[in-house]
Amino acid sequence: MKMTRVMAVVLSAVLLQVVLARYAVGGRFSFDLVLVGVVFAALQSGAVAGMIAGTIGGLAQDILSGGVVGVFGLAKTLVGYAAGAMGTQFVVAKAHARALIVAAATVLHVLMAVGLQGVIDQSWPSLSWTAMLEQVVINAAVSWAAFQVTESLPGAMSRGRSRSRSSWGRRQW
Amino acid sequence: MPSGRRPVTLLVVLCLGHVLLISSQVPMRDGSTALHGAAFGSVARVEAGVAALADGVTGLWSHYVALSGASRENETLRQRILELEGELLGERARASRVDGLEDALNLQRSLVAPTRAARVIAGNPVPGVLTVTVDQGSDAGVQANMAVINGRGVVGRVIVVAAHAATIQLLADRAASAGAILEKSGTAGNVSGGFADGQFRLGLVSSAAPMAVGERVVTSGQDGIFPQGFLLGQVAQINGTGKSREIVVAPAVDFARLNVVLIVLAKPAQTGGTTR
Repeated sequence: MKMTRVMAVVLSAVLLQVVLARYAVGGRFSFDLVLVGVVFAALQSGAVAGMIAGTIGGLAQDILSGGVVGVFGLAKTLVGYAAGAMGTQFVVAKAHARALIVAAATVLHVLMAVGLQGVIDQSWPSLSWTAMLEQVVINAAVSWAAFQVTESLPGAMSRGRSRSRSSWGRRQW
Repeated sequence: MPSGRRPVTLLVVLCLGHVLLISSQVPMRDGSTALHGAAFGSVARVEAGVAALADGVTGLWSHYVALSGASRENETLRQRILELEGELLGERARASRVDGLEDALNLQRSLVAPTRAARVIAGNPVPGVLTVTVDQGSDAGVQANMAVINGRGVVGRVIVVAAHAATIQLLADRAASAGAILEKSGTAGNVSGGFADGQFRLGLVSSAAPMAVGERVVTSGQDGIFPQGFLLGQVAQINGTGKSREIVVAPAVDFARLNVVLIVLAKPAQTGGTTR
């Protein structure tokens, strides 16, 4: 995955998160599509791409949220690096295995973000386990769908191309 | 990623880090950072465009495809309008009587603060931070710390303002609170949000103050942001007694269904219920 593609994935994830977040107000749904984008980039292109995606996505989230700039940047950089390193150390080719990594990354990210916020505020913020579980499930489901699409899209496209080529050939004969 | 681009990327990242550090040390008048203000203003336009697109698609479905039951709903709404018109006439009559009494007693006349309707176009990208972005900003007269309400009660307050957009901190956010008063008993306190169950807690209340489940909690106007008398919620539970008493307040507003809100375009000090 090239750098521009990593940027495109992360920035689209940020935009999608901002737009969809208005439906999540009131705690009905909790999800972090930026984190999904970061882990996606890390698993597709390695630790460096994951780290950069985490920095960009996290900082964008920090700036747009109005909170302390750097909390989500740092948490996502570390998670992006860890996911990329895992992706290169172990064979995680299947969509469900990658979704499991996203689930683990979500737990790690929430704990790190809460921990950092606690250190900054000098008080331990309340952590909703239900909201975290909800976020784990939604993030994993979204990433599973994204990995399925990226896995099956090239094959489907080449099948479609060869089908159209063969039907064109028959027509000519 | 090619190795030749790595130093440039690193440079960009470092520069960005410096800008962020500087920005975090230069707060603007409303308390936000310069970088946040600039990013918010430009991103809000994109958010408004995407929100309009999403609303267009859902509108196409609800206005043209899913029309079953629309005529029935029409009838119900017409009836409701008639009822509301009747209530409005009654309220007008009562208001004129109050005006007459105020004149007779030589009091300053109460004013109703003007409001501005705003559409919710985005939420906060960080899960758990309860702020929303609306499509009205300083061009429409919106300023920081203005109260935001809807038909049911208090929604929150304006915290960041750009030309065409503003960020609203919802009362359910963990950093939000409002001066409150129990409508029947007149006990004053402070309502705060940020709890996992999505309900408010009424704090700073005298341990001996009488109250009952179901009692309405309204704004006291003491915080200088929310005008007096707007509904915050109802007492849902009273746990424990004495100093360890916890008062749970069910919010009047359904924060999960915020589409259009009203921004009160005057601070309580300007309206306050007592200015002429």
